[in-house]
Amino acid sequence: MIELRNVTKLYGRVIGVNDFTLTLEPGAYGLLGPNGSGKSTLLNLITGQLRPTLGTVRVLGESPRNNARLFRRMGYCPGSEGLYANVSGYEWVRYLLRLHGLSSQRATSAAGEALELVGMSHAMHRSIASYSRGMRQRTKLAQALAHDPELLILDEPFNGFDPVGRHELTCVLRDWIGFGKSLIFASHLLHEIESITQSFLLICGGRLLASGTAEEVHAMMAGLPNEVALRSTEPHALAALLLRERAADSVRVVDGCVTVATQHPARLYDRLPGWLAETGLEVTEMHSADESLQALFNSLMKMHRGEL
Amino acid sequence: MTGNVAAVFLFEWRRALTLPRMAWWALLAAFPAFIIALIRFTALSSPPRDLWAGTLYALVPMLVSMLGTLLWATPAVSSELERRSWVYLAVRPHGGVAVLLGKYLGAVTWVVSTALVGLTMAVLIADSDDGWRLWWTMARLACLACPAYGAVYLLIGTVLPRRAMVLAVAYTLIFELVVGLIPAVVNKLTVQYRLRALLVEWCDLEIPGGRQSGALALIGDAPPWQHIVILMFLTAGLLFAATLVLRWSEFASSAETDV
Repeated sequence: MIELRNVTKLYGRVIGVNDFTLTLEPGAYGLLGPNGSGKSTLLNLITGQLRPTLGTVRVLGESPRNNARLFRRMGYCPGSEGLYANVSGYEWVRYLLRLHGLSSQRATSAAGEALELVGMSHAMHRSIASYSRGMRQRTKLAQALAHDPELLILDEPFNGFDPVGRHELTCVLRDWIGFGKSLIFASHLLHEIESITQSFLLICGGRLLASGTAEEVHAMMAGLPNEVALRSTEPHALAALLLRERAADSVRVVDGCVTVATQHPARLYDRLPGWLAETGLEVTEMHSADESLQALFNSLMKMHRGEL
Repeated sequence: MTGNVAAVFLFEWRRALTLPRMAWWALLAAFPAFIIALIRFTALSSPPRDLWAGTLYALVPMLVSMLGTLLWATPAVSSELERRSWVYLAVRPHGGVAVLLGKYLGAVTWVVSTALVGLTMAVLIADSDDGWRLWWTMARLACLACPAYGAVYLLIGTVLPRRAMVLAVAYTLIFELVVGLIPAVVNKLTVQYRLRALLVEWCDLEIPGGRQSGALALIGDAPPWQHIVILMFLTAGLLFAATLVLRWSEFASSAETDV
């Protein structure tokens, strides 16, 4: 479906995408990466908005640059807003469908159907200026879906959604995948992608760091240093306990919070309740300080550079 | 492709029917009439026909056509980029080119309508003996000027969308208004030269010093059909160049795409 060979995109001296090689078969994929990681550049290359500085991009077997035939088979919902304020959502989607080459009659019905699909039928004749952010996101999604493309590309489509809207749109996208259509879904939030698909592409610093299922990504992380933060009434005593029990590679105490670096977090989670019961120490709060996606990417970047 | 251009043209016209844009349209149309009224009602004697011709030419084919197309055609691409709506249009089959040409047609028809209404009011106020002939000459000149200037500004706006308005104003002031008045071969490259030559021919204006004088370099001695053909080819060539530039350009920048 998508093939990138040694693709590099430079913006002057800034690297957007760096030596990216990737082959994707038809299906649904989550493109996961922190802000500024190169996701949007990659999507712009795939949708033909950008020309690679080096390498080649093929989408559905064709070069995407200025390719009218390919654009008929592709739907794109970019991350930026870019809607006209003084027209209604219906007029805008219908206009884009007309621009897509649909007849006036077909564009009229397809625009209505797409807006209904994303839950915008009640407000589709209102001016876009009056829409909430979530409504604008729904309208953006409608224009990408309306011409029934084979491949749907979404860049941060859940931005601005409330939990209900997020759930509704998740169902729409799951149904979409269920019809055998292909999807590429870019986000910087793991749970957003996990709710849609289990196939991940992890991108950071313009590089493809890892790909596979969520389990495969977690397996890759086994054995890498993890940080656990514990809040206690006696942080120094807790720190001493963890060092004595060899549960930590290093310990840092700041403002009553003990941050523990360990390569074996599971062992720590297992044994900590027993140690606390024996010593009478209290832990009021515990979380993995390293759970953020950025930490995962930092570790993957270090692996990529051979530093780990 | 034609259907796509028509879709953009109609959409742009619908979007243009807002109060601020209509106010601009009315202001631009009223300006020639206002200036002609000032001349007519403050002059001690009835101005000669050549003065009306020169003034109407300066007001309609020059000012209204230039200013109107500069305002509407130049930002064809930059307005979409600033609004970040370009990408929605560019991922449609032939979307970019359809938007460019649809907006161009929208701008030209918008300005031609302004020019013709303004011209009609101005000629009525001038109340010249030769009013009908003046109207017909200026109307033809406006119908040639608007597409030509529109194509010039469209190309400028496509080549450098981020600085389009500044460059379009600079082009107008330096090239059309200064270089166009230099009695040398270089002025033949301007739209002004062609329009001026047609004005002299169609209005039978007298050339100061006669045809043997240096003033001939400002109007040339080519027949009108040649000027018309050159203007039409120039317009088509500029539009073609704008579409080529558009197809080559990358408008999704790093700033716009969050890298």
